[in-house]
Amino acid sequence: MAVSSARIDSGLCFITPAFMLRRMQSFPAYIHRDGGSQRVLIWVLLVLLASMTNTAGAEQQLTTSAATGAKTWALSHAGVHFSLTQILPEQGDAFYVNRGFSLEQIAPFTSSCVFMTVLRNDAAPGIVHFVRSQWQVRVDGKSHQFKTVAEWLDYFRAQQVARPALIAFQWAQFPPEQEYEPGGDWNQGMLAVGLSAGQRFDITAHWDVDGAAESATLTEVECAE
Amino acid sequence: MLNKKYLQLILLGLLLAVTPAGLMAQDLPPLTHKLTELKDPVAAPALHLPNLDDEMVDLQDLRGRVVLVNFWATWCPPCRREMASMEQLYQAAQPYGLEILAVNIGEDEDTVFSFLGTVEPSPTFPMLLDSDGGSMATWKVRGLPTTYIVDPEGRLAYRAVGGREFDHPEIQRQLRELSR
Repeated sequence: MAVSSARIDSGLCFITPAFMLRRMQSFPAYIHRDGGSQRVLIWVLLVLLASMTNTAGAEQQLTTSAATGAKTWALSHAGVHFSLTQILPEQGDAFYVNRGFSLEQIAPFTSSCVFMTVLRNDAAPGIVHFVRSQWQVRVDGKSHQFKTVAEWLDYFRAQQVARPALIAFQWAQFPPEQEYEPGGDWNQGMLAVGLSAGQRFDITAHWDVDGAAESATLTEVECAE
Repeated sequence: MLNKKYLQLILLGLLLAVTPAGLMAQDLPPLTHKLTELKDPVAAPALHLPNLDDEMVDLQDLRGRVVLVNFWATWCPPCRREMASMEQLYQAAQPYGLEILAVNIGEDEDTVFSFLGTVEPSPTFPMLLDSDGGSMATWKVRGLPTTYIVDPEGRLAYRAVGGREFDHPEIQRQLRELSR
């Protein structure tokens, strides 16, 4: 599992890696002066605790599926899990052709950088509410707009796509708006960010918990090749 | 006539067991096991749909029993994963008469029937067909799967957004207590 950095827009982390590094630099002298094995144990436990705190609460994780090669970017922030997993164009084609689309009809969607998106309220202090259109994608620091589910549905209607295929498309997407209760409400669904194969971007998910704004950003996410 | 590309895609779809992106089990997020109690229970919306034998089923006729109403589709990975646990719950809850209505969104009878043959244990509770997905708006469902628990008085008592392990002891306890 590879680990990369994440930008967390709110929240506190009391024990940072830099803080621990400064403490570790004075560690040998401390042992020599005191020699107490109990204190050594406490330091080791503190280091472990700091490591666990950062991993569980802040850092972006990048993993690659051994089975499919798809990459997943994930983080947990303020009790909310947020992740994107690459969907390869041919995988998306296979899914939608089996739902009634023609290849020509679905190709503009499946070739526009599609991810399986998950948002889950594990332990937020209240109901998580989001409106997907408020999420932001940035490419090279510049804001990037992409089609909503409603716009894709309008596009497919104009292509005379059959109604059962439209229903499957609509409900296979990540919800445009949703509320998640604490303790495990979640959805997974597709999200096309409208970029080309291999392009990288940052995506910021915005939500509120009982009116208090929160957000988290996955950085350097990469469209499947 | 299907060309070679289409045949490849159809085969790939079958190979991937019709899950989006061909996500393997180890890649999928865990199912959770908590039902959210609705603080101010309101009357459940109407639900009147055909089952796989084309017989109409009406939620209204189940008044006096706890009813689990699940909205799902065969192409929805967490829907597929929770289906077996719903059957386990159904079997375990027979003593207090829990009923389950699984409302399929937008698919035909053959598609649903084929999928059910792959579930172990295979569901024995009623499958309802909502061909145009109209019940999603009535029930204010924003994503699949979504599950509501209707109490014996016909009110919405619990809700679960996203996949669940329905045979989890905590969920079984909540439903058993609701039936008393």
